[in-house]
Amino acid sequence: MATVNGYQGNTPVATSTGTKQPAPTAKTVDSQSVLKRLQSELMALMMSGDSGISAFPEEDNIFCWKGTITGSKDTVFEGTEYRLSLAFPNDYPFKPPKVKFETGCFHPNVDVYGNICLDILQDKWSSAYDVRTILLSIQSLLGEPNISSPLNTQAAQLWSNQEEYRKMVEKLYKAPNA
Amino acid sequence: MDSDSINNASSTSVHNGKDFSRKKRRSAKLKQCKLDARREQWLSQSVVKNKVCCKAGTNGGDSKRTPRGERDSSLENLEMRRRGEANGGGENGSVQHESDSESLPSNSPTSSLLLGGTGSGTSFTNSSSGSTSSGGCCSGSITEEEGDDGCLDDWEAVADALAADDDKQEMERNENYRENLCSGSTPEHEPNPQLGLNGARSDLRNSKPECQRTVQMATGTSRAWRVDDAFRPQTLPNLSKQRSFPATDRHFGQGGVSWVRSSAFSPPSSCPICCEDLDFTDSSFLPCLCGFRLCLFCHKRILEDDGRCPGCRKAYEHDPMEAEASIQGGSMTFRLARSCSMIARS
Repeated sequence: MATVNGYQGNTPVATSTGTKQPAPTAKTVDSQSVLKRLQSELMALMMSGDSGISAFPEEDNIFCWKGTITGSKDTVFEGTEYRLSLAFPNDYPFKPPKVKFETGCFHPNVDVYGNICLDILQDKWSSAYDVRTILLSIQSLLGEPNISSPLNTQAAQLWSNQEEYRKMVEKLYKAPNA
Repeated sequence: MDSDSINNASSTSVHNGKDFSRKKRRSAKLKQCKLDARREQWLSQSVVKNKVCCKAGTNGGDSKRTPRGERDSSLENLEMRRRGEANGGGENGSVQHESDSESLPSNSPTSSLLLGGTGSGTSFTNSSSGSTSSGGCCSGSITEEEGDDGCLDDWEAVADALAADDDKQEMERNENYRENLCSGSTPEHEPNPQLGLNGARSDLRNSKPECQRTVQMATGTSRAWRVDDAFRPQTLPNLSKQRSFPATDRHFGQGGVSWVRSSAFSPPSSCPICCEDLDFTDSSFLPCLCGFRLCLFCHKRILEDDGRCPGCRKAYEHDPMEAEASIQGGSMTFRLARSCSMIARS
């Protein structure tokens, strides 16, 4: 688990609530169709063979997935890998999943708790999106942040200096492993 | 739409296969009786006919040698086939279809032609058109010698396939009718470039309007018979191989490909939102101008929610809802027509 020290206290709490939330309230008919959708998404994801993204359900709960994305080439995030958690609501895909960074990510649109500010995960969500497109969107968000509405102001300010930013990313990324 | 029509075609063929085997079992005794009767008839005439047979054989050899004669015979074949078509109403496709679904190459008219060579061209037409008439008694006897079961199975298959083809054509007619209703469905007729040759061909054939389709098939087969006499024995076995397992081939071969493809390019076989299979009504349901398709359940669900198309995020307009109603009407008439035809037949 590559987790930045400061975030460790929060992440387990967040994931455990995410895990428990969908199961008890699931209606049989609804969860059945969500199940089918998630299963076929998993199949599509495994067949697509996209490089740099992957996701798989947690052991006993298909409503809770763990995903990984790698930083794209020629960005300051090149060579880094990030773990994410995806918690699907019962009315998925009509409502977006809750996606969070589990690995600390120094990014203008990611806050210290791993919350992501991405329009397609909020008001621009469409039921035509799936795990694959979400992960690809987040991957491209890494290289093209939206500086105008930052969650991490420090990162937003530093973004203009790509060399310094790169050093900061490497420093924070290596910190928990060292 | 094309995927849907494929489904329909495969389902009907499966149904036909079942039906056919049942009929076959039932009429096995009847067949045997007829066979015996005909053999007796033939034996009683054989003394006279043997001479004629020999003569015919030499004639056939002559015609084989001279190109003009061959042409004539092939033309005759064609003409006889045409007549058979006029009688049976597009039996060309149905004969192939039936024999393929049975997947017994020895029964198919194709292989009998190949085995018999050029001389027995007439015998083939007789056996396939199912009318062992008095005129073709000589060639008819040849077919009987070749394989009694094969000959009988052929005309039995023709009879069955005729009914099946009628059914299919009717379904397609209804489909066309519904397509006309749903005016915005033009892009779905585009042959998909990503499909293989087989897939593209069957797609084309399935998605084309009915009249074009029959014409296409008729010309295709007639050409095949002529060329196949001596030059290309490969094409027909390929054809039968291509269509020999309609259900499995289409589902796993083509279905797999279309599944990997994004649903945006071609009409999906399953709803992209709930991943349930699209039924007949769903697949002709085009709620948004952007072309994003989904099942009626998910559409209703979205209308209750924010009412925006998942494909383009624009709000659904009211016009497509009227289109939906008319489509539903179309499907109702379709169902009625089918049940009527079933009653009329049985």
